[in-house]
Amino acid sequence: MDSEKSARRRGKVKWLRLYRRILTEIEREIKIHPAYADLQNQIGLLLMVKGKTEKAEHHFLEALRQNPKYREATFNLSFLYVETRRWEKAEEILLLEVKRHPEDAFLHQLLGVLYFQTGRKKQAAGQIHKAIQHHSYFRDYYSKKRVWQRGVVHLHRKAEGVLREIHWSHHSAQFHNFIGLYLAKKGKPRQAILELGKAAGLKPDEFVFHANLGTVYAYQGAYPKAIQEFQKALKIQPFYGMGYANLSYVYGLIRRTREAFRCMKKAVRINPQYADLRYNLALLYSDRKRYEEAAFELKKALRINPGYLFARINLGVLYEDQERWKEARREYRKILQITPEDKHIRNRLERIS
Amino acid sequence: MLKEDFVIQSNVRQILIRSDIDYSRITFGTVKGVVYLRGVFKSAHLHTDGSGEGAANITIKSLESLEKKVKGIPGVIDIEFELTNWTKAGGQWILKRAQEDGGR
Repeated sequence: MDSEKSARRRGKVKWLRLYRRILTEIEREIKIHPAYADLQNQIGLLLMVKGKTEKAEHHFLEALRQNPKYREATFNLSFLYVETRRWEKAEEILLLEVKRHPEDAFLHQLLGVLYFQTGRKKQAAGQIHKAIQHHSYFRDYYSKKRVWQRGVVHLHRKAEGVLREIHWSHHSAQFHNFIGLYLAKKGKPRQAILELGKAAGLKPDEFVFHANLGTVYAYQGAYPKAIQEFQKALKIQPFYGMGYANLSYVYGLIRRTREAFRCMKKAVRINPQYADLRYNLALLYSDRKRYEEAAFELKKALRINPGYLFARINLGVLYEDQERWKEARREYRKILQITPEDKHIRNRLERIS
Repeated sequence: MLKEDFVIQSNVRQILIRSDIDYSRITFGTVKGVVYLRGVFKSAHLHTDGSGEGAANITIKSLESLEKKVKGIPGVIDIEFELTNWTKAGGQWILKRAQEDGGR
């Protein structure tokens, strides 16, 4: 029992130390980059967790001054106003945001909490209904808690607790995600995974948390888990092009190139203007000896970014392999115009001249 | 040995991400098993380009480690460095000039 208590105490001390370290680091970064809205939002989040609401408010407002469309800072500020019972201010922000994003389920959810806590039950039910309509996560959650039954919102005796629970979950999840990303950046993948896992557990419908988890698992070399997390992210957000690209790279690392090929094709379809994705798709085509398609992708990559040197080198070599000497020479000469010192390309050009 | 450029490219990316190199200033490509690395080479823990004896030694170790790891990827037949600040001559890494950008 005692050892359990002291372990908990040790854990708390460790956590506080980490918290202070992150806070100090962000304070230092803000001094260097005072106009970064991201940093202002992050420090606000950290201060809010510690109950320093006045300072937190100042930083959220600063973040929004720098970037008025900053969604997370808006959520955090309205959350802070709800928590400090400054209903009018919270309502003003949320109504403005709902006007801008009428399909954002989380905004309706926040308004629902606000109306419920100010005794406007009918309006609260209306907003929760909208949150349920716009996102299945809220429907599943409220059904489980019997707030949503047979198409009707029931704000029963226990509803306040239910509403507050989901309200806090979002906020805590953002916090754990932020800490997880910080730890990952510091090269501590194991701890990062714990924090990101907490975030994903609190809000399983947030694709970003799963994508972040996937990235850290991939970094760690836990490829099957990375694949699983990227797949979860893509199930929630099927138009997340970089999710497909990252999944493709992981498949590449374990030599499952058929899956890598399928994913990279999807990534390019979603993000046709990303030259780097086209380059990678070209490599996959070329590995399959589908040279025409590889050349097509490389040309597209070069149209997007004419200075993409590797795309030009690959294209030159591709022409050379097909004995299209004239085109190969043309590509090599273009490369040498950019990098006249490139001996490797000069040798290739001399060999076919 | 099967030379799959995409597999090699994915491995190079992974090596760079996991290294202590500031890889935001490095670009890379793979052509028929030959890996190209271009840009400014800088250790993530250093705030200089690597000049100064201590810093240079750290950077050289990073360069050697990177070269070894990339060469260790199955299918890699050669590695071509086109770095703006470091060059290899006679098997030794030499700091070219304290220049900050270019090559991207």
